[in-house]
Amino acid sequence: MELRHVDYSYGASQRQITDFTATVPESQILTIIGPNGAGKSTLLKLLMGTLPPEHGQVLVDNQPVAQLSKRQRATKIALVSQQHQVYDEMTVGEVVKTGRLPFHSLLATIPDEEIRPFLTQVHLEELIHRPLQSLSGGQQQRVWLAAALAQEPQYLFLDEPTTYLDIRYQQDLMSLIKELNRTQKITIVLILHDINQAFKISDWIWLIKQGRLVAADEPVKLLDAQLLSTTFGLKVEIVTVPDYGPYIVQLSD
Amino acid sequence: MTKESIAYSLVCVFILITTIISLMVGTTFISVQQLWQVFSAQRPDLLATVLDFRLPRIVAALIAGGMLASAGALSQAVFRNRLADPTILGVTSAGELMMLLGGMILPAFGLQKFMLALIGGVIAFALLANRQTMQHPYQLIIVGVALNLTFTGLQQLFTKGINVGNNIGFNGLTWSTVWVLLISGCIGLVAVLLLAPWANDLKLPDDQLATVGVPVLAMRLGLLALVIYLSADVTSAVGTLPFIGIIVPNIARRIVGYDYQTLLPFSMLSGGWLLLVIDTIGRTVILPSEISAAVLLAVIGGPFLVYLVQREGFHGITSR
Repeated sequence: MELRHVDYSYGASQRQITDFTATVPESQILTIIGPNGAGKSTLLKLLMGTLPPEHGQVLVDNQPVAQLSKRQRATKIALVSQQHQVYDEMTVGEVVKTGRLPFHSLLATIPDEEIRPFLTQVHLEELIHRPLQSLSGGQQQRVWLAAALAQEPQYLFLDEPTTYLDIRYQQDLMSLIKELNRTQKITIVLILHDINQAFKISDWIWLIKQGRLVAADEPVKLLDAQLLSTTFGLKVEIVTVPDYGPYIVQLSD
Repeated sequence: MTKESIAYSLVCVFILITTIISLMVGTTFISVQQLWQVFSAQRPDLLATVLDFRLPRIVAALIAGGMLASAGALSQAVFRNRLADPTILGVTSAGELMMLLGGMILPAFGLQKFMLALIGGVIAFALLANRQTMQHPYQLIIVGVALNLTFTGLQQLFTKGINVGNNIGFNGLTWSTVWVLLISGCIGLVAVLLLAPWANDLKLPDDQLATVGVPVLAMRLGLLALVIYLSADVTSAVGTLPFIGIIVPNIARRIVGYDYQTLLPFSMLSGGWLLLVIDTIGRTVILPSEISAAVLLAVIGGPFLVYLVQREGFHGITSR
């Protein structure tokens, strides 16, 4: 999956993404980081094909993503957002079944057996008949992850999936994502707010600012206080924490 | 047995018992024994009462109740709003208005009432469904109620307040009307069962549905067309029957849960049963006169709606 010289703007004046060229490393964990308004979510939408690029191309398997049908796209790319809304009571099973929609005719009834493996992958198989709302935030996010996995995607996108989770659930989710990537070779594209989380989990990082790619490299090579300071527009120090490793501290005035 | 299968069995038993009672009661009381004789062709004197007066009415009540309850449940799924019912939203009164106007200015043609009610329903939904009302549940209900009052007012205006109306209801139903309702109604109900998975899918927001590649708009319009079909069909045969589409699905949710594939069939059965109970009471309680099902439903449905909205734990109009 790659972007070639992609431009995108909201309206006439506001350029969101400028001449963006980069390749998503296959079967790895890529995290996009950058300050607020840098264009991270826009970039994700361009990659998913839900926004059409103004100029340039977004390619999936060497094919423009725009040329894929919605269904084809749904079996290649799945998304987990920071927060999911439902309009009525749904059971865990019902939510996960929505991930199977691309594989069935519109009128089909999807059997429970079909989705059990995906619930097992997120360690929630016993909760299949439980109402979604009775679950904790961390468990709910895992249900949405199972629904995304049910699409059997090549690419799994997660847009700040840990925002509304407390710290323990954040770590649970992150290790689950890592596990999925290692065992199933799914390419993961993450947007993360927590820069240390990003450096810890990723194989590859895109550092972006004002819609432009500042750097794309392995995390160790981006541990540069000067680079991070200029990108985020505030003073950054990198300290070494025993038994953890380098830790990025953002210093406010 | 699961809770659902007990609920299904109970409602089927209720339907059977109520049907028998409904065949028995009326101006002439017919005992169970006499009923048996009628059906084994030993009582030709009672045959007309049972087969030509009571039975068509019972069949019409069962099918119309099932159709209205399904229309209510589906419309709640489409609008993501627990109170969205075609009778509250003005869909059926628009149908009645069209039937009245069409009857005045158009020459009679086949399926006239049904076609006119259908047009009315489409007009009402066209006025009702827009971005604003989809996003603000209370606005949908308020606009719907306003449309309902407007259409009802226009009907009164054109009839100068006298109810010459479409002169329909359960009283005096004949087999010719009931057969049409039964066949068209069964077609509609089969469609409801087939499209039930869409109602479940629409519990997710549109952008989420788009990422799994389903045609959200087509699904929503398809279900809406079915709602209009069901409402128009019932309205053209027996007039507007308020509140069934709200009472039944909302109680059914508490009994069999929120999965539309279970909820819709259960709503059909309970809707049919409820309307049969109401109509049977209405036609027997002040013999030899009768109270129309629409009036009785309004008397029960109004307070139920108040209860529903004010109940503790009612998460606004949308469920979440």
